[in-house]
Amino acid sequence: MMRTSLLMLESNPRPGPFSDDLSASPEMPEPARDTRLIEVQSKSGSTGFACEPGETILHAGLRQGVTLPYECATGTCGSCRAKVGSGEVAVDWDEAPGHSRVKRERGEILMCQTRPLTDCVVRVPANVSVGFPRHALPQHFGGRLDVIRRLTPDVIHFELSLSQPISFDAGQFVLLRVAGLEGMRAYSMVSYGRNVRTLQLVVKRKPGGGFGNWLFEEAREGLFIDVFGPLGRATFHPDEDHNLLMIAGGSGVAGMMSILERATQEDYFRSHRGYVFFGVRKLVDCFYLEEFSRYVRAAHGNLEVTIALSDEDCGETCHAQYPEVQLAFGMVHEVCARAMEGRYDNVMSYIAGPPPMVDGALRTLIVGARATPDRIRYDKFG
Amino acid sequence: MSWKYLCDVSDVSNNSLKLVDVDGIRIIVANYGEGFRAMPPICPHMEEPLDESGVVAGCVLTCTKHLWAWDLRNLDLMGETEKELKTYEVKQEGSRLLAFVERELTYDFDEDADDDEDFFANA
Ligand SMILES: Cc1cc2nc3c(=O)[nH]c(=O)nc-3n(C[C@H](O)[C@H](O)[C@H](O)COP(=O)(O)OP(=O)(O)OC[C@H]3O[C@@H](n4cnc5c(N)ncnc54)[C@H](O)[C@@H]3O)c2cc1C
Ligand code: FES
Ligand code: FES
Repeated sequence: MMRTSLLMLESNPRPGPFSDDLSASPEMPEPARDTRLIEVQSKSGSTGFACEPGETILHAGLRQGVTLPYECATGTCGSCRAKVGSGEVAVDWDEAPGHSRVKRERGEILMCQTRPLTDCVVRVPANVSVGFPRHALPQHFGGRLDVIRRLTPDVIHFELSLSQPISFDAGQFVLLRVAGLEGMRAYSMVSYGRNVRTLQLVVKRKPGGGFGNWLFEEAREGLFIDVFGPLGRATFHPDEDHNLLMIAGGSGVAGMMSILERATQEDYFRSHRGYVFFGVRKLVDCFYLEEFSRYVRAAHGNLEVTIALSDEDCGETCHAQYPEVQLAFGMVHEVCARAMEGRYDNVMSYIAGPPPMVDGALRTLIVGARATPDRIRYDKFG
Repeated sequence: MSWKYLCDVSDVSNNSLKLVDVDGIRIIVANYGEGFRAMPPICPHMEEPLDESGVVAGCVLTCTKHLWAWDLRNLDLMGETEKELKTYEVKQEGSRLLAFVERELTYDFDEDADDDEDFFANA
C-alpha cells in the first residue's frame, strides 16, 4: 500500500530539492506570503496539513495534531529527520548540530529547521498519525517578560505573561524566540497549571550562549517574547499511579519542579512516594531549596529530595539551612543508584539535563533497576 | 557464505556486548544470559554505535540514545521501537561462538536513489 503511493509520487524535476538560503539564489522569487500544503508520507500511511508563512514543517504539523517525531524541536538532536520527496524548502539554520544526522545532499532535512517554499511531499521514517492521545496541541502565544529573579550567579528564574491561557502537562517545555536572536530555545516549565496565563521558567546560563547572554545582560521586564508550546512527552500523569523518581542535572530540575507542583497541588504524595535527585557542582550552585523544603513538608513523609554535589564533599547530611533537603557527594546518577537500591517498586522515572548526565542516568536505571523503556521519560537539554 | 568464528564464549560476559571483526564485517555479539545474538554494530533507529549506546539487561537490548529496545529471546520490539533488529544466526561449538555470515547485514537508511521504501521500512 505504502509502496504504490510512493511510486505514484511526482519526482522533483529540479536537480536538488533544496534551496538552503533564499538570498543565495537571487533569481528565485520571494516566497509568496501564503499557506503551503505539506503531504507527509510515513510508515503508517499519508496525511496532510497546512504550513503558514514562516512556520517550520515540524511546528505546523504538531500544531495541527500530526505526530511528527521530535525531541528538542530546536535543531540539535536529529530526531525530526525527514526527506523531501518533492517541492522546495528553505533551511533556517545551516549549522544545526542535528544536520550531522541527515544526508542533506540526498534531500534529507530536519523538519524543525525547514520551511516550505512550495507545496511539499515529505517522507518521515516513523509512524505518523493525527491526534495526540494525551497532550494539548501546541500553538503560538505572545509572551511578556514579567518577573526576573536571579537565583545564583548563573541561574535566572523568570515569568512570562501570555496573550491567551495555556494548558500543559507537568514536564513539558515551550520554545522561546526573542528579537535579535536567531532560532528558538527550549525551556521547561517550572510551574504547573491548566488554563493559566503565566509560565515560570528557569535558565542556567551556558557560557557564551545567545539566550543566556540576552537574559542576563539585556532582558528587562516588559519585553516581548514569542512562545510556542507546549511540547514534550516526559510528562507526569497522576492517573498512572506510579511512585516518582526524578533525576535532574542543573537546569533539568525545571520540569521536576513542575511535577512536584502538580503532585503537591493534588496531594499525590499522600498515597505515592517521590524521590528527587538534583545534581549540581557545589552547594552554592543549588537553587529552589525553599521550594523543595515546602514540597517535602507537604508530602506526609513520602518525598525525599537529595542534592548530589559532584565537586564538593559535604558528607551525607541534611542541608544546614534547609533540613528537609539531603546532601550527598558524587555524580547524580551514582548518588541515585546508591540511594535507590531495592526501592524501585512501581517507579516511573523522569530524567532531564545535559545529554551525558541523562545517558548516565538511563544506563543506571536500565542496568541497576531493570527499568523498561515504558517506565522512563527523559529530556536531553542539548 | 559460511559459519564464521566470532569469539570465545568467555570473551563476552553475561549481559554485555562485544564488537568483533569477521573478515572486515563488524558484528556485535550480545550475551543476554540465556543465549547469544549477533547483529550489525549500529542501532536501526539513528545509527548510533551499539557497542557504546547499547545496554543488555533482563534479556533486553536497549539503545540508551532514545530507548528503542528488543527482547533478545524472541527479537520482539519493545515499547515505541519501530524497527526490527537484524541478526546473524549464531551457534555455539564448545567454547567457540560462530555466526552464519552470508553477507553483511545493513540497515538501508536510504543509500540509493531508488530504495526509498528503506527510508521507512526494515527491509
Ligand atoms: C527539551 C529541552 C528543554 C530544555 N529546558 C531547559 C530549561 O528548562 N532551562 C535551561 O536553562 N535550559 C533548557 N534547555 C536548554 C536550552 O534550550 C538552551 O539550549 C540553553 O539555554 C542554551 O541556550 P543559549 O542560547 O544560551 O546557547 P546557544 O548556544 O546560543 O544556543 C543553544 C541552542 O539554541 C538553538 N540555536 C542556536 N543558534 C541557533 C540558530 N542560529 N538558529 C536556530 N536555533 C539556534 C539550538 O537549539 C542550540 O542548541 C532545554 C533544552 C531542551 C532540548
Ligand atoms: S527535533 Fe529537530 S533536531 Fe531535534
Ligand atoms: S539511535 Fe538507538 S534508539 Fe535512537
